[in-house]
Amino acid sequence: MNALVPLLLLLGAGPPPGPDDGKLPPSLEKLFEEKGKDGQPILGESDRAYLRKLPLHTRELIAKDVDAVTIGGARHLKALLSLELSSQAAAIAFSDNCILCHTDPESQKPIHLFSPDPKATRSADHLNLKDFVSDVHFRRGLSCSGCHGGSPDKDVMTPDIAERWPKADARHVDRSWIPDFCGRCHADPAFMRGFNPSLPTDQLSKYEESRHGILLLQQKDSKAAQCVSCHGVHGIRGPKSRQSKVHPQAIPETCGRCHADPKYMAGYQTDDGKPLPTNQLAEFKESVHGKALLEKGDLGAPACNSCHGNHAAMPPAVSSVSQVCRTCHAQNGTFFDGSKHKQAFEKHRWPECEKCHGKHQISKPTDALISATPDGLCGACHEANAGDNRECNETARYFRSSLADLVAQRETLRPEAERLASSGLDAEPIFASLEELDEALVQTRTRVHTFDRGGFDQGAKVAREGVAKTEKLEEAARAEQRYRRNGLLVSIGLMSFLAVVMALKIRGLGRRRTHEAEHRRTR
Amino acid sequence: MIPAPHLEAPASTAQRVYRWLDARFGLGKVVEFARHKEVPLGGHSLVWYYLGGTTLFFLSVQLVSGVLLLMYYQPGEATSYESIRYITARVPFGWLVRSIHCWSAHLMILSLVLHMFSTMLLKAYRKPRELTWLTGFVLFAIALGFGFSGYLLPWNELSFFATAVGTDSVKSVPLIGQWLLEVMRGGPDVTINTLYRFFALHIVILPLVLLAVLSLHLLFIQLQGMAPAMAHQRPDRPGLRFFPDFLARDLLLWLVCLIFLSVLVYLLPYGPGIPGMEWELGKKANPLAPAYPGIKPEWYFLWVYQLLKEFPPHLLGMEGPQAALLVVTVLMAIWALVPWLDRRASRGQSSPEFTDLAIAAIIFMSYLTLKAWDIGGKGLPGKLPDPRSTSWVCAWIVLALSSAIAVLRILAYGQRWMFFSGAALLQVVLNGVFGLDYLISGAIALVLVVAGVVASRRAPALRPGVTR
Repeated sequence: MNALVPLLLLLGAGPPPGPDDGKLPPSLEKLFEEKGKDGQPILGESDRAYLRKLPLHTRELIAKDVDAVTIGGARHLKALLSLELSSQAAAIAFSDNCILCHTDPESQKPIHLFSPDPKATRSADHLNLKDFVSDVHFRRGLSCSGCHGGSPDKDVMTPDIAERWPKADARHVDRSWIPDFCGRCHADPAFMRGFNPSLPTDQLSKYEESRHGILLLQQKDSKAAQCVSCHGVHGIRGPKSRQSKVHPQAIPETCGRCHADPKYMAGYQTDDGKPLPTNQLAEFKESVHGKALLEKGDLGAPACNSCHGNHAAMPPAVSSVSQVCRTCHAQNGTFFDGSKHKQAFEKHRWPECEKCHGKHQISKPTDALISATPDGLCGACHEANAGDNRECNETARYFRSSLADLVAQRETLRPEAERLASSGLDAEPIFASLEELDEALVQTRTRVHTFDRGGFDQGAKVAREGVAKTEKLEEAARAEQRYRRNGLLVSIGLMSFLAVVMALKIRGLGRRRTHEAEHRRTR
Repeated sequence: MIPAPHLEAPASTAQRVYRWLDARFGLGKVVEFARHKEVPLGGHSLVWYYLGGTTLFFLSVQLVSGVLLLMYYQPGEATSYESIRYITARVPFGWLVRSIHCWSAHLMILSLVLHMFSTMLLKAYRKPRELTWLTGFVLFAIALGFGFSGYLLPWNELSFFATAVGTDSVKSVPLIGQWLLEVMRGGPDVTINTLYRFFALHIVILPLVLLAVLSLHLLFIQLQGMAPAMAHQRPDRPGLRFFPDFLARDLLLWLVCLIFLSVLVYLLPYGPGIPGMEWELGKKANPLAPAYPGIKPEWYFLWVYQLLKEFPPHLLGMEGPQAALLVVTVLMAIWALVPWLDRRASRGQSSPEFTDLAIAAIIFMSYLTLKAWDIGGKGLPGKLPDPRSTSWVCAWIVLALSSAIAVLRILAYGQRWMFFSGAALLQVVLNGVFGLDYLISGAIALVLVVAGVVASRRAPALRPGVTR
């Protein structure tokens, strides 16, 4: 190859590129000599190692920034290197003059300074540089100029930056410009197809119909939530990211930032004119849904948006609240629709599920909910609204006693199954039968929503059969255990008999030997 | 006078068969040998002579129950676990056979360990029985190999991860560690190939080697007879005839063992439930699942397992496990070579150092085993037991038992030479009671025992032979 070099030079081709030795350009090397107030070099060996790992063109790009003073010194470079960007992201960041200028602590005031540690530089929270470089927009190539305008390749700020947004004093007071601003891209299917074809583009139209949208856009109430309120500004992440403000587990807190703040929510009312409560978040956290989502980490459990919607957020109307529950609890809804209660609830304009189970504080339903006494759920409601309700109370009592019987039987069957398993018996069929019984119990409880003995018994019958089947299996296992025990006793009896015979024989042998010894002595 | 006809009782069928065989194979010599075979009496209890026999009995149970299991067991990724489940759930008395196989395996090792320690304490290894001891030592190693290889065969979670941990320690062997690991596992990881290897080992290779070595062991015993008591403690008493007197006693004991085994199998079909002694099938092995928590080997490997844990990651330029395995190898080598090291016993003289060595070995292994069982170290639910409190409780248990043994040795046998056992106990106390590092405690004990032995050589009162 070396022999070919003169020939290549002769033909006008440049010398072949040499291997990248990771050497830093001189202007970069010079920054390593800069010292801080403590007299120690600002850039350390870890920074050098990071730079050496970057591709040659990126190192040259950074050196060019240093030569052009868009990187103002070692402190500035240190702040940028602390982001530990991938080589691709580093190439984007170091070629963007907006980022370079607004991260230079020497030239920017805190109000305009992006910093990896905003508290240390007294920058505003939304100027967190780490958040910015992990923003979903930045990661897809959309940087500052995408929203703010201007040209990142120019050394100076162009006038269009000031024109794109409302004036600073107005835009902070009236936030109604924000949905349209985000909608410029997010409501444009043709544009969004180029970035994320699967992302819906109906957020703006939904928002306009939402309670938040009506308040902001029609009533010019800038306290109402808009895009930024929920998604943030520079640290926007997709809903699947655990750090996202709209991750299912983060949603209750995101909504609660306004809705759990009595001061912020003062003055807002429900449809019937009552002050809007602010205890929803606290209640949700205590509810079966809240515990499943926030404590058990079950992302399938509903958060605020599951019932109220996302961009079209509205309090569900009486007529629709039960439909919201049905999205998950479909079977319960179907049984309810075919029950006597359906008409009664419609007559009273009661929300269906909520009437018995509550709203945000829904707790895990227990069989104790089915109570025909006047202080119980069924009894109290019936006494107040159904007058002569003897048959209904009988039905409630039947449900309750049937479930109690099934549960009591199940409670005795499981420990017995465990005892039999620990005794070495094959308890697998018993455990399988117990699982079937558990499933049948769930079905039976679901069928309570038929509010009809016949409907309930269709489930209870399967559960009762499950109990009988499990009892039969356990009885068979106990019989096997008795068989084993008896077999053991018979075997031990026979072996012990044999052992006694042998012991007698050994004793006889011993006597014979003693006799023989005496006989030898006397001879 | 007419001579009376020669009256001779007609021979029975058994006699005729015997005569037929005797004419062809010379059975008379064997019968003559058996008639004169005796079990020596005097000096110590007859009970120690039974332990080899009980080991043999449990081995026979293993062979019979193993063959029965083999009729249904099918090695394979989709069949190993399933066939064991089928054996215990569907095969008539399958549960019984599996439980007997498992219980008997542990009882066989227990009997073997007792047999080995009794041989050590009674100096039965002394000249001319060195090779009987050595073959016995090899048989012990084979028995451990049976335990290790058989453990994986159910292919359940516990066996899978225990084998992964157990085979991993082979990596510490210098130079060939990785190669050896891959030979054992049939690849870099524990897979179904490992099971095939262990299966072949368990049912073909080890039984063949066992039969060969066991034959030698038994042949040596027949040729040399059972070891009599030491000359200095042996009163002149005639021996006990082996046939039928001792054999009848042996058979009676075997019967008692069988009754004991039957009761255990019925009451505790999955073992006593202590780590290293449980065989409930549980879940099928899943190589992709996270490691099974609290994996511990079978009880007879626990002292090695705990010793590995006591070593730091690096020691004297070696990897910690490497150093630990070196210690185990040296200790095992000393144990195997005891007949040649104990020269006084070979001359029929008392050798209290080796009696004490056996006691020291018991103390050393008991402490580590108790620690590995986390005795006294129960932590909060979901938390690991506290090692400090474990060491503390285990040390006091060992201290109490060792003191009782020491008092017994002094009062009943007049033994005074206790440097080795004293050193082993000192290590236990320094580590368990005073919280000193295990290895530092060991080093201190080692230095003191060397100093003690040197001093004893200078002080005639402590010299071996002066006192027993």
